[in-house]
Amino acid sequence: MSENKILFSTGSLDGLSKEIGKLTNVDESKLKLTPDNADSGLAKLVLTLVELIRKLVEKQAMRRVDGGSLTDEEIERLGETLMKLEMKMEELKKHFNLTDRDLNINLGPLGDLM
Amino acid sequence: MEIIIYALLSVKEDSSKLNFKLKGMHGLLNAEIYALQEGQVSAIVSNISRTDLITDSTNALLFAGIIDSLSQDFSLLPMRFGSLMESSEAIIQMLERNYTAIQKNLNQVEDKFEYGLKVFCDSAKLKADLLEKTKLNTQTTEPSSREAKPSVYREWVNKKLEEHRLEELLVSHVDKVIATITEQLSDLNAVTKFKKMLTETTIIDALFLLKKDQNEELMAVITSLQNQFSGLNFVMTGPWPPYNFVEITIK
Repeated sequence: MSENKILFSTGSLDGLSKEIGKLTNVDESKLKLTPDNADSGLAKLVLTLVELIRKLVEKQAMRRVDGGSLTDEEIERLGETLMKLEMKMEELKKHFNLTDRDLNINLGPLGDLM
Repeated sequence: MEIIIYALLSVKEDSSKLNFKLKGMHGLLNAEIYALQEGQVSAIVSNISRTDLITDSTNALLFAGIIDSLSQDFSLLPMRFGSLMESSEAIIQMLERNYTAIQKNLNQVEDKFEYGLKVFCDSAKLKADLLEKTKLNTQTTEPSSREAKPSVYREWVNKKLEEHRLEELLVSHVDKVIATITEQLSDLNAVTKFKKMLTETTIIDALFLLKKDQNEELMAVITSLQNQFSGLNFVMTGPWPPYNFVEITIK
């Protein structure tokens, strides 16, 4: 298309291009399974799902804490459980050489998973 | 040889205008562009060999450019890149089968363009600003028994609770921005679609369907929004053919 389609922007074009790139570059977050990387590919898939569920549980727990419906003992127990879960996830990510970014799948037009 | 379809458009009494327009255009692989008509609907097509059509960004942009050029003069439904059918008879039959749905969609986008609005932010800075404004009290989970020092688990919960509240603040702020945009566009009778929190920095991805002559009013609204929310970066693109406002499943 010949004409300029950007009608309004206050930021730099470089910055805009970078942001658009983040939205459209889904390639790096795709699951690339091959016979050589079946272990790590599967680990990435499984850990992505586990991390999603862990974050949902954590979010719901924080809603309940914020709502004031938990006792001191319940908050302590909740904190201990969620903290240990988080530490275990860190161990697993380290074991499979994965980062937070690896586990955040881009769902294209829907955006990032987490 | 197959036939590629660029767009379906409404031709009521201006078929000579369409023919004149098509004469000045070239299709993919420099093929001739022509119209196949069924009632008041025309399919804009070129004869192309499937094996010669390479699916790459150059051809995809050429395809989009053809649709964009047509949309300047006609109300149309853009087709997906690579929409091929085996013969003109098959295309006419497809138009016949889907005539009502095509007409309905054409009426919805008649004399309208699509515009895109993306709102970016520095989320860390925005969260800090929102926190400053609301003066959140993050110490509400202190144990009632007033222990000498909060346990490591309690500290962890406090940290997560603060993050959670910041996230809620950000979402609430984005909802406020969307409500303001919707309100300011209501005078233009715009059809709107919003997605929010796509990434850490892209907080709103919106689409508007507006009358072709409302460009200036839209720009005035966006300028006003940018002034109102100076910490955000508004980027408006368009006019586009109505890619995201066509709801039809071709039978």
